[in-house]
Amino acid sequence: MNTRGRVIIQLNDLHHTYLSGTPLEVKALKGVTMEIYEGEVVGIIGRTGAGKSTIVQHFNGLIRNRERGRVIVDGNDMADPALDVRAIRQKVGLVFQHPEQQLFERLVGDDIAFGPKKMGLPPEVRRERVRWAMEMVGLDFESFKDRFTFSLSGGEMRKVAIAGILALQPKVLILDESTTGIDPRGRKELLDRVLNLNREHGVTLVFVSSNMEEVASIADRIYVIDDGRTVMHGTAREIFAQPEELRRYGLDVPHVSAVARRLSQDGIPMPRVPLTVAEAEEDIWKILNS
Amino acid sequence: MSEPIIRVENVWFSYNPSIEKPVFALQEINLEVFPGDYLVVVGHNGSGKSTLAKHLNALLRPTKGDVWVNGMNTKDNRCVLPIRATVGIVFQIPDNQIVATVVEEDVAFGPANLGVPEEELRARVNWALKVVDMDAHRLRAPHLLSSGQKQRVAIAGAMALKPKVLVLDESTSMLDPAGREEVLDAVRTLNQEGTTIIAITHFMHEAVEGNRVIVMEAGRIVAEGSPREVFSRVETLRALHLDVPQVTELAYELHKRDSTFPADLLTIDEIVQEIEGRVNQKEKVGEYSWARHYTAE
Repeated sequence: MNTRGRVIIQLNDLHHTYLSGTPLEVKALKGVTMEIYEGEVVGIIGRTGAGKSTIVQHFNGLIRNRERGRVIVDGNDMADPALDVRAIRQKVGLVFQHPEQQLFERLVGDDIAFGPKKMGLPPEVRRERVRWAMEMVGLDFESFKDRFTFSLSGGEMRKVAIAGILALQPKVLILDESTTGIDPRGRKELLDRVLNLNREHGVTLVFVSSNMEEVASIADRIYVIDDGRTVMHGTAREIFAQPEELRRYGLDVPHVSAVARRLSQDGIPMPRVPLTVAEAEEDIWKILNS
Repeated sequence: MSEPIIRVENVWFSYNPSIEKPVFALQEINLEVFPGDYLVVVGHNGSGKSTLAKHLNALLRPTKGDVWVNGMNTKDNRCVLPIRATVGIVFQIPDNQIVATVVEEDVAFGPANLGVPEEELRARVNWALKVVDMDAHRLRAPHLLSSGQKQRVAIAGAMALKPKVLVLDESTSMLDPAGREEVLDAVRTLNQEGTTIIAITHFMHEAVEGNRVIVMEAGRIVAEGSPREVFSRVETLRALHLDVPQVTELAYELHKRDSTFPADLLTIDEIVQEIEGRVNQKEKVGEYSWARHYTAE
């Protein structure tokens, strides 16, 4: 989805310092500005240590800004001490890099129902939420709800962890390197599922990733973070049209984009920067047969 | 051909062999690795890649079958130390294998514990740090380095033991593109200097680096060959739910539309050359037919 809706998350010149006032202080964010619109898929990329995870932890109040800059989430100023952070965390769900480590209940169903239970939802509503969330991630409700969480495979654990967050029916879902270390099949399935949430249910998606091919294939817009600052932003096609700039920030472009760039540099004009193999195939086929 | 440095003979392995119906994480594995090889192992989660890696320096021993390292059997307790001096492993998360508070001390840790004399020790640390391009950071604290730098320190630490074989178990999966490139450069240099490399990876374009690729599925080796041989079997790999490098996938899709387009291209250079060759050829043919048309008039 690419229709510009309402701004749901807004960061303005955000600064953050870890261990502030101690000899170990680290300035993690030094001016991050970004806007995330309702219903879009936003990619956040940057080299390791650039500040990506620090940024997304501001989205649901795991880190509250006390320094320069403002964070507005769904109309709420996150610096407001009277803010109901729990309400924000229901709206903005965060999945970490090793989501399987977020599981703590013995049974799958209980683990997914934990959030709705804490929200005080009645049992029958909870059950429906769990059923819906499991369906969304592709786990069969009847056969999985009474399974032991520790007996699941890594990929299944990830699905349960994500279902636990979906059961809160968040408006925004943040995946912080959540596909790292899963094999291509597991990765593709997970991506298809969350993209479906975006298309069918309008859930805003924020992807933090260091896999350029993955980001290129799913993100509407991309922010590039380096050394705690926003250094580039634009549509995926605009961003991946600038390989030299990206390399300066420790990043790269998908191989198909690199192929297209080499061709146009050598005098074969390409109609666009291809982001996926299918796009590159289509463009090159036209050139070979024009 | 020279003698293999690692020979895996009909190896079966179960983490729990005593139960009635044991599950075998490795089944019927036969593999020979020769000095100077750069072997890449691919396969999805749970296919047995890491279990195989741990057999190569006696962290695990076969339930059935034998693993020979430089003529030593990993089942022979007396051989464990010399085997681990021959085969070094670098794991996925560098933080788990960094022990010291200064980079150069961390690199020196292994050989110092083996009693390598001071002068030799210094030479090895210098050499290892130079190969991974970390000598400028030798006095820094490892925990303040980036992940790519840490991973290179971990590799230097393994290298300082002068292993003949270096096993990298998904050592690049935590890194960003630049960090990944740094590590691959270091590994390439080592291989050129004669170290045998065995690399386990999920990134298919990294698999192109090797001279041999094996594909694992459900504890077995299901495909083996040069990267070009293995990756040109796009359908087989897809059936195993594995990716192929983007460039190969593109070449394969173009090959499906036009069978004269080669399906087995691996690198950006190769496919760019192929496309440019075809475009130039077409232009020439175009000029020729235009000229003929003109003369006929």
